[in-house]
Parts: sequence; C-alpha cells; structure tokens
Amino acid sequence: MALRDWDLWGPFFFIVFLGLTLSWSASVKKSEVFAVAFALLAAGAVILTLNVLLLGGHIVFFQSLSLLGYCLFPLDVGALICMMENNVILKMIVVCVTLAWSSWAAYPFMSSAVNLSRKALALYPVFLMYVSVGFLTIAID
Amino acid sequence: MSPLNLQIRTFKRFLHRVHKGRSLVELNLLMMLMADTFSKPAGGSQPGSGEPQGSGWFRTFTIAAYKPYFDVDTSDIIDRLKESLFPFRGTFTEKTATNPDLYGPFWICTTLIFVAASIGTFVTYIAHKLKKKEWDYDINLVTWSAGVFYGYVTVVPLILYVILKYFSAPSGLVQLFCLYGYSLFVFIPALCLSVVPLEIFRWVIAGVAGFMSATFVALNLKAHINSAGERWFLIVTGIFLLQLALAVVLKLYLFTVTV
Repeated sequence: MALRDWDLWGPFFFIVFLGLTLSWSASVKKSEVFAVAFALLAAGAVILTLNVLLLGGHIVFFQSLSLLGYCLFPLDVGALICMMENNVILKMIVVCVTLAWSSWAAYPFMSSAVNLSRKALALYPVFLMYVSVGFLTIAID
Repeated sequence: MSPLNLQIRTFKRFLHRVHKGRSLVELNLLMMLMADTFSKPAGGSQPGSGEPQGSGWFRTFTIAAYKPYFDVDTSDIIDRLKESLFPFRGTFTEKTATNPDLYGPFWICTTLIFVAASIGTFVTYIAHKLKKKEWDYDINLVTWSAGVFYGYVTVVPLILYVILKYFSAPSGLVQLFCLYGYSLFVFIPALCLSVVPLEIFRWVIAGVAGFMSATFVALNLKAHINSAGERWFLIVTGIFLLQLALAVVLKLYLFTVTV
C-alpha cells in the first residue's frame, strides 16, 4: 500500500547521486559521464514504464517511475563503494551483489503488472538497464 | 487467389491505366488505401471497435496508437529471434505479415548498443593492460553506437519504404522496421565472440555475421517484391551490400585498437 503514495523526489535524488558518484569516479570527461548516466537512468525509467503499458500491462505511470527510481538505491551504494575502491575484482563482486539486490526489489512489481505470458518481455529491459548501469560503474575508474 | 495477390493485381492494372494519362489524384488515393491495408494487421482495422479514436494528428502521441504493434507473447518473440538466425528460409515476412511487432526491433537495438559499448570498452581495456599502458573509459562509444544502431534501423527502412512505393511494390512500414530490427539480432553473438584477440578471427566473425544478416534481409524482401518488375534485383543487391557495410563499419570502429 506504500506504493500508492508515489513521489518523484526520491528517484530524482538517487539518479542525481548516482550520476555525481560516477562523475567523481571518472578521471576524464566528467561532465559527459554525468550526462550519459543521468540520461540513461531518466529516459530508461520512462521507457521501461512505456514498455509495460504497451505490452498491455496495468500500472500507473508515475508509480512505476517512482518504484524504478527507488530501486536504484542499492546501485547507489555500490557506486559509492566502487568510487573508493580500485580493485577490479572487488568492484565486480560489489556491482553483482547490488545489481541482484536492485533486480530482486523491482521484480515483484514489474512481474505482477503484466500478463503471465509476457512477464519475461517486461522484466528483460529492467534487467538490461540495471546491468548497463552496473557496467558503467565497473568501467569508470 | 489470395486477397493480397488480388490487391496487387488491381493496383497494377490501375497503375497501367494511370500511366496512360488518367487521374493522378485517383492514384494517390489508391496508394494511401493500399498503404493502410498493408501496414496494419488484417483484423484490427474495424470501425467502431469501442475505443475513442481522437483527432487525426495527435493520435501518434497516444499509447493506444502503438499498442497493436506490441501484441506479442514471450514465445512469439523467441520464435522470431530463432527465425532470424536461419537466413535461408525466407519465411520471416510471411510469419510477421499480420502481426509485426516493434518490441523486438527496439529492444534488440538497445541490447546491441549496450553489448557493443561494453565489448568495445573491454577490448580496449585488455589491449591497454596487456601493454601496461594508461587506459580511460571512452564514453563516446555508448553515444556513437546508439546513433549508429537507432539511426540505421530507423532511416534505412524509411528510405526503403519510399523506394518500394515508387516501384509499385508497397510494403508496410512496420513490417520493414520489424525485418530490419530482427536482422540485427545475429550481431549480438557475433560481438560477444569478437572478444577473442585474433585479428583474422574477428574479420571472419564480422564477415559471417554480416553475410547472415544481409542474406536474411535480402531473401525475405525478395520474396515480397518479386512482383515489382525489373528493378527488384537492384534493390535487393543494394540492401545486401548496405547490411554488409554496417558489419564492416562495426568491426572497424569497435575493434580497431591503437595502443
């Protein structure tokens, strides 16, 4: 029921924080990194919601944006840890763990929104977005 | 005779009459009607289907206008993906004629962008680390590959649509998007395999993937536009070469590492 009270401040904060963290970790082209991260996350949340709506799912647009934004929290933590670490193996482990956590958080909401025969179609893009953010986190050093 | 063939025949007869100097307005009207018949699924364009249609031009901005193109299940998508891996069957256009989807093309392109950017980054990373040199993440890979893939799948089918209309073998625009989108699927495993640092191996992979993708598009289009007359061979060859060129460009940009 807490889902019904959607808000966009939380997601906004998490997206900006993630963009800033990635930007701080980058040694060159900091502003481009921030721009790409912010655009990827913001546009990604909108596109994922549209995807579910187009597949015939039943969700409220802003509620979905809100949820996808809040589920970024583990990735924020992961990016913060990766900013302070330099070992690639450790970064990979941290990103994998936080990625799994984010996906596990977003899974129930997304899978219940669509028809059972289209569940994978709705979940795959969520997974893709989180994996690409995780990849950005590992790659930027 | 199937309705499709009947329509093509009628259209050709009309074109012949127009060529003899009849009304150009009638020709335009008929072309628009034909386009509508080919673009949408056969059973979905009944009037009074219960949904408010809204005014003409800003229907393109509503979600409901695009819902028919996302009416696919997971099993349908998997079927179509498997179909795109066998270019010599040539049955893709028949299978998607009544239910073309835009889900496949869009998400295949997006996945390709991610895979291309990550594999390209990984390749330069390994090359730099092997020679113990400094390495920086190049964010331009993401933006560049996004431009290439989205641009290719949007612009080339549009141009092809116009060309085909001009040569009187109209094909639905969405069917063309669908065809081109799925033809790019074979590049995903090809890019993953290209991580191997052997130059010759990478060229072979790029060649094979490009050839498979180009044959897929060419054969499926050929089956459709055989009735267009003399020019079909030119069109099909042009498309084939264009897809091959895409594969070469990908290989050159992503995997040319200068350390």
